[in-house]
Amino acid sequence: MPKDETLFKNLKEHSIAEFFRKNSQMLGYSGKIKSLTTVVHELMTNSLDACEESNILPDITVQVMQPEEGLVVIRSKDNGPGIPKQHISSVFGKMLAGTKFHRNIQLRGQQGIGVAGVTMFSQMTTGKPVEIISVTKHTAWDIELTIDVRKNTADISSQKELEPKPEVTGVEYFANFKDVQYSTGEQGPYEYLRRTALANPHAQITYIDPSGAKTIFERTSNAIPPKPIEVKPHPKGVSVDDLIIMSKTSKNRTIKGMLQDDFARMSPNKAKELSELVDFNIEKRPARLSWGEAEKIVKAFKKVKFLAPPTDCLRPIGQERIEAAMKSILAPEFLAVVERRPTVYGGGYAFLVEVGVAYGGHAGRRLSSGEMRSEIMRFANRAPLLFDTGGCGITKAVRDVDWKRYGLKNFDQLPVTVFVNLISTHIPYTGAGKQSISDSDDIQNEIRQALMDVCRKFNKFHSHRRKLAEHTARKNKLLKYVTEISNALSELLGKDEKEIRTYWENLVESAVGETIDDLESKVAEQEKEAEKNEGVLKETVEDENGKSSVVYDSDADESPPENGDGISRLSDYM
Amino acid sequence: MKTEAIVQKIIKLGEELEEQVEAGRSPEIVMPAKGLGNVSFNEEKKLLQLGEKTMSRNFLNIAHSRKFMQTVMIANLCRKLVESEKHASIREVYYQLKHTIEGAKENTFDGQEESDPIIEDLERSLNILREQMNLTADRRGYMYGNVKIVDAGDTINCAKLGRGGYGIPSTVEDIGFADIQADFALVIETAAMYERLIEEKFAKKNNALLIATQGQAARGVRRLIHRISKEQKLPVIVFTDGDPYGYYIYSVIKMGSINLAYLSESLGTPDCKFIGMTMTDIEHYGLEKVTEQLKDLDVKRIKEEMSYPWFKNKRWQTELKKMLKGGVRIEQQSLANKSLDFVAKKYLPEKIQTADFLP
Repeated sequence: MPKDETLFKNLKEHSIAEFFRKNSQMLGYSGKIKSLTTVVHELMTNSLDACEESNILPDITVQVMQPEEGLVVIRSKDNGPGIPKQHISSVFGKMLAGTKFHRNIQLRGQQGIGVAGVTMFSQMTTGKPVEIISVTKHTAWDIELTIDVRKNTADISSQKELEPKPEVTGVEYFANFKDVQYSTGEQGPYEYLRRTALANPHAQITYIDPSGAKTIFERTSNAIPPKPIEVKPHPKGVSVDDLIIMSKTSKNRTIKGMLQDDFARMSPNKAKELSELVDFNIEKRPARLSWGEAEKIVKAFKKVKFLAPPTDCLRPIGQERIEAAMKSILAPEFLAVVERRPTVYGGGYAFLVEVGVAYGGHAGRRLSSGEMRSEIMRFANRAPLLFDTGGCGITKAVRDVDWKRYGLKNFDQLPVTVFVNLISTHIPYTGAGKQSISDSDDIQNEIRQALMDVCRKFNKFHSHRRKLAEHTARKNKLLKYVTEISNALSELLGKDEKEIRTYWENLVESAVGETIDDLESKVAEQEKEAEKNEGVLKETVEDENGKSSVVYDSDADESPPENGDGISRLSDYM
Repeated sequence: MKTEAIVQKIIKLGEELEEQVEAGRSPEIVMPAKGLGNVSFNEEKKLLQLGEKTMSRNFLNIAHSRKFMQTVMIANLCRKLVESEKHASIREVYYQLKHTIEGAKENTFDGQEESDPIIEDLERSLNILREQMNLTADRRGYMYGNVKIVDAGDTINCAKLGRGGYGIPSTVEDIGFADIQADFALVIETAAMYERLIEEKFAKKNNALLIATQGQAARGVRRLIHRISKEQKLPVIVFTDGDPYGYYIYSVIKMGSINLAYLSESLGTPDCKFIGMTMTDIEHYGLEKVTEQLKDLDVKRIKEEMSYPWFKNKRWQTELKKMLKGGVRIEQQSLANKSLDFVAKKYLPEKIQTADFLP
């Protein structure tokens, strides 16, 4: 090997290790709580992807153990196809940074550094190898390895061949960590898995916490989500840098040809229109495109009208599946899910939002003090976003909704879970941490619209329920007075108390009972009407909102208020 | 009304309710409406009068049901009292009926302020006086002077009861007048002024009967004043603080009150006159330094009183306007600023002499 190349190779490997050490926060390993959640996330993503690619319904177990103070052991186990021995080293022991970069495809992964990052983080904090038990249909191995950071290869310290069990394939992974903190809060493993289960109804997820307590998030759908497809980038969503990279690798003979072939919605007519907007010939070789020229092209893109990008590449979870998952995990009293049609933000990126609101049951978050808090669950391409809540565009859109208008007063303190999943070929993260979505009117507006849709449904449910509760309260109130009245009347009239009481109780039953039936049929009718005419419903709902129920709050006390006559209040003087 | 008739009236109320319930109708108790809306001033009789409007207390109306229950309970208790010829104070009524409702965290009555108005409702509904249902209230108010009354068989000389005089019971129906040696009755707002006048021997020297109301006059006191005026034909003079509250005390003694408008004919004394304190007194007797500032609430009251039909005369309007303009009130006892006996020796005799009264 020539000397120069050796030098170059060392430099490159050195830079990967350095990159990870210096930039681990970019990969999610920052903060003790967040680091642990990132570990769980990477393992989870790896397992889900492995199962889905092999058309297996995922059944994944994650266990967190704390054998001693300051040490956390994570075990994860899936039912995927298993990894053949020759690939174990590269999956778990080689940093593959960049595989997911620059691909216009809807992926749940965030870092692209994958599960090798977990191995790296484990060895960085404990110096110990990780253990992988991989069972495929034909082979089974128990392997311990570390990463040789200088060569960026796996360093296998122990390997044992096991008896293969074709019927129970899968990967089991053990790793030790220090500098992490186990949290039971909103940003800990439990919450991460709960939310992952919500957004992946086809997965069965089991979680075992350090005390040994086991939680199973049941599978609620047997449909494996279809694989996302890669689409060509849309001219409105491309950066100068993207264009330069494309031009360096293009096999096209001209820039014009490259634009037509590699971009969506770029017809020969549009290419011609574009050529008239730049002051150089786009018939030259792509490789000769300069940075300045690329800037001019990107600028010209903004001036040309293109069709919106195709949206058939998006793979939502689906309204029914979200409903089933939320029902199973939150067991709410009320649940509504809305999936919006695909649309475009920033002119060039296809996206759609799925939104759900659950009320009551296990929805919301109960603090240790017993108080309730509402929770906002954010997802980007099904992956839960647990950090950077405040700065996230999703959070802002949720906060923008005037909840009290829909019967959700004091939104923050209600047993409410708001679910928002943003699906896109390109999620506009605010930073390298990829835990929040940047502000975008297009996206936030879609989220708001979807939430308002859901809220209108909630309002119907809520006012119906409130009326029923009022009826029951009214009936109970009357019945309790009946006891006193029949006692007094039986003395006054010298009649049997039971006989009198029966008459009065019947009176209450018939008077209030009828009203409840009336109400039920009235509500059913209203709902039919509403389905016929959504516009009218909206007005009714808004009307109802402003006023309190008029069913029987209206009967003011028969005596005018004492201080209304202006005289008896003179007693105030005394 | 005979005892038996009263019991029958109460039982009839219960029977009507029972009939309504058995017929499947929502039971209701009907009574004349109360409050300003159903009260008018009868120019001829010079009394507040209850109108024709009625209201109904409906059991199935959730806003009424609690009061409905309370009315039935009190009706039954009154029936028991009358039948057994026992008396109970309205506070005892409250305690007799107060308990936690079976199977609920709610009391039948949460205070006497809840049971008292129900008693008034029952009075209006049955057109029977509280006193006729053997209900009594606390004694309030005193009487002093050369008058002999018969109370429960005892003849009492109200001038021979030391410095306190006779405590007026809440029910004065059964009291008889054996002998009255007085030229007029002076009704006084504060007990302190009443005691001052006794000490100064005002009653003896002026041949007066003194009655202390101790603030707003209770039903018993008002009924007694009414009887002294109507039956004994004694002129009645009222002496209160010079403020809207004192003037309202006078107004109630004279015309009746809005709450008890249905009793005006037996409680009101339209012929009584007002002696003071007036705003004119302040200038006339040089009392500027012993006045007190009006409060916001006072100003509001004055404006209300100016609109009362019975205050719509020149003298009263002048006084009320002066009070508004000056922004001050004056107490009876401020007369002590001159000297302790000033009120007995100069103020009252002088005004009575010249008949310096407000209507």
